[in-house]
Amino acid sequence: MIFDCHTHRFSAAGPLDRENDDRWLADLDSSGITHCVVLPYAGLWNPGMIPKENDAIATFCALRPGNLVPFFTVDPHDPRLAEAEFTRCVEQLDGEGVKIHPWLQATSVNSSAVDVVCEMAGHFGVPMLFHDGTPCFALPSQIAMLARRHPTTRFVLGHCGLLEYWREAIDALNSANNLWGCLCGPHLHAIREIIRCCDRSRLMWGSDFGFVPAPGAVYRLELLKQAAVDDGCFEMIVEENPLRLFPICEGKPTTAAERDGNGHSVPRHPTPAPKWVLGDAYVRKGPETDPVTKEGR
Amino acid sequence: MPIAECKHATTSLSGEAMTRIVDAYCVPNEEPGNGEGVPRLLALMDRAGIDHAVIAPDDREIAVANVEGNRRMERLSKNYPDRFIPACTINPWYGEAACRELTRAREAGARLLVLCPNLQGFYIGHPTASKLIRTAGDLDLPVYVHTGSHALGAPSQLVLAAAKYPATKFVMGHCGSTDYAYDMLAILRSAPENLWFELSLVRPWVIPDYIAGGDRTRFLFGSFAPRNDPALELRHCDASLPIFEYPDVYGDNLARLIGMERA
Repeated sequence: MIFDCHTHRFSAAGPLDRENDDRWLADLDSSGITHCVVLPYAGLWNPGMIPKENDAIATFCALRPGNLVPFFTVDPHDPRLAEAEFTRCVEQLDGEGVKIHPWLQATSVNSSAVDVVCEMAGHFGVPMLFHDGTPCFALPSQIAMLARRHPTTRFVLGHCGLLEYWREAIDALNSANNLWGCLCGPHLHAIREIIRCCDRSRLMWGSDFGFVPAPGAVYRLELLKQAAVDDGCFEMIVEENPLRLFPICEGKPTTAAERDGNGHSVPRHPTPAPKWVLGDAYVRKGPETDPVTKEGR
Repeated sequence: MPIAECKHATTSLSGEAMTRIVDAYCVPNEEPGNGEGVPRLLALMDRAGIDHAVIAPDDREIAVANVEGNRRMERLSKNYPDRFIPACTINPWYGEAACRELTRAREAGARLLVLCPNLQGFYIGHPTASKLIRTAGDLDLPVYVHTGSHALGAPSQLVLAAAKYPATKFVMGHCGSTDYAYDMLAILRSAPENLWFELSLVRPWVIPDYIAGGDRTRFLFGSFAPRNDPALELRHCDASLPIFEYPDVYGDNLARLIGMERA
C-alpha cells in the first residue's frame, strides 16, 4: 500500500471530466499510489465552485470507494454557508476531511471564521488539512496555534513547511499532539530532519499529484524512500499512519457503528448540540487543561 | 572517470561525446548532523556523474562567519581543483569591509558572490547592499541570490534589483521555489539581460516550461547537494529536460558565466 495524503482532482490540462478522470486514475496507478486523499482545487480559488466541486469529488471517489478518500472545502468567509456545506458534505457526500488553503482562500487562520470550521471538523470527527509553508496566512506555527485552540480536532500540515519553513514545521508538530504532518514538498534533508525530530506516528506522505504530473509523484516518493530508511519507517508513513487517520480505507474498514446499512460512513461523533457558534462573537469552551502544557486555562 | 548512475556518464564511457555537468550550487559540510562534509559531497557528485560543482559557504558562514566560510571554500577548491569552484559570501551590512573582503575573495579565486537576504537580514534593494553589488559588477563577479517563499526572497524583488544594477550579473537561486513559481513565467518574459536562473529546488517537471518561457542560455542546473541527492535530481531533470539536448543548461551556460575554461 502506498497512501498519498495530498492529491488534487485536477489536471494540468484543466478541470476533469469522466474521460480525464480515467486518465487521472491511470496516471495514479502508474506512479504506484494505491490510496489517496483527493483534495479540491477549483473551489479554493473560486468560492462559487465549491458545491459543484465537492459533488464532483464525491462522485469521483465513489469510483474506487475505500481507495479514494474525498475531501471537501467550504468558504470560511460565510459561516452560515460554510456550516450548511460542511454538514452536507459529511452527511450526504461522505466527505472524510476538509481542506483549507488560507492564502488562496484569503483567510487568516487566526480568524473566528476559521475557528468555526475547526469546531465543526471536531464535531464531525473529520480532519482538517491546511496548505502550509507560505506567509502570511499559512505558516506552520500559525496552524499549530490553531491546533492548540481546538484540541479535539485533528489537523494536518499539508506540506510540512515546504522548502523554507520545514524547521518551523518541526516545532509546530512537536507543539500539538493533534497536529499531523504530510511530507509533501520539503527537500530530502528536510524530510530526514522531520522524521528524525518529530513523532513519526503523526507523519504521512503526499505528492500533490493532480497539481503535479505523475513523474512528480514518483520523484517525491523516491525522496521519502531515501529519507525513511529506518526499519518500518517508510511503511509507517505511507500506510499505517494514514490508515489510523482515515479508517474508511481498505485494510482497516470503518466499524459497523460508523457505517449505515448501505455501508456508507456516518458522522463519527454525532453529538446533538453543535459546539460552534455562528456570528461575530465566537466563543469556544475548551477543556480544563491545555493538552500540550498541561496547565489549566 | 567515476562510475556514475546517470546515463549521460554511462554513455560517455562507451565513447560518445561526454556532456560536462557543472552543478551551480552545492554546500559542503553545511550543518551539524548533516553528513560527513566533503567526502560525502564528492561521493554524491561521483554517483551522479557531476564533473564540477560550485561550492558555497554553509548557513552559519553565510549568516555570521563570512570570512571563515570564504577561506574554507578557497581551501577546498585548492585541494580539489578539478571538482570544486569556490563561491564566497559577505553580509552587506559590513559596508566598506564587505567590499574589501569581496575583493580579497575574488583575488583568491571566488567565481560567485552568494547573498541570502533571508539569512543575512536585508532586502536586495536596500541601499546598504548597493556598494557591494556594484563592486561585484566591477569585479565581474556574478551575484547569486537565494529566492524562495520567505519575505525577502521574492523573485520580483531580484528583477527590480537586476534592473537597478545593469553592470552586475545576477543569478536567481531556486527561481522562487516553491510558491513564487506562479510568478516565474511572467518574470522570464520580462527578465533583464543581466539575470540568470539557477534550477536547484525547482521541481523537475516544470523546468521545460521555464526553458520554453525564457532564454535557454540563462538557465543553470543546480542540485543544492547535499540537501538534495544530485543523482536523483539529475535523473528526474534528465527525464524532463534531456541532458544531451541541453548541455548548455547542465554546464556550459554556467561555465560561460563564471569564465571556466572549456575542457
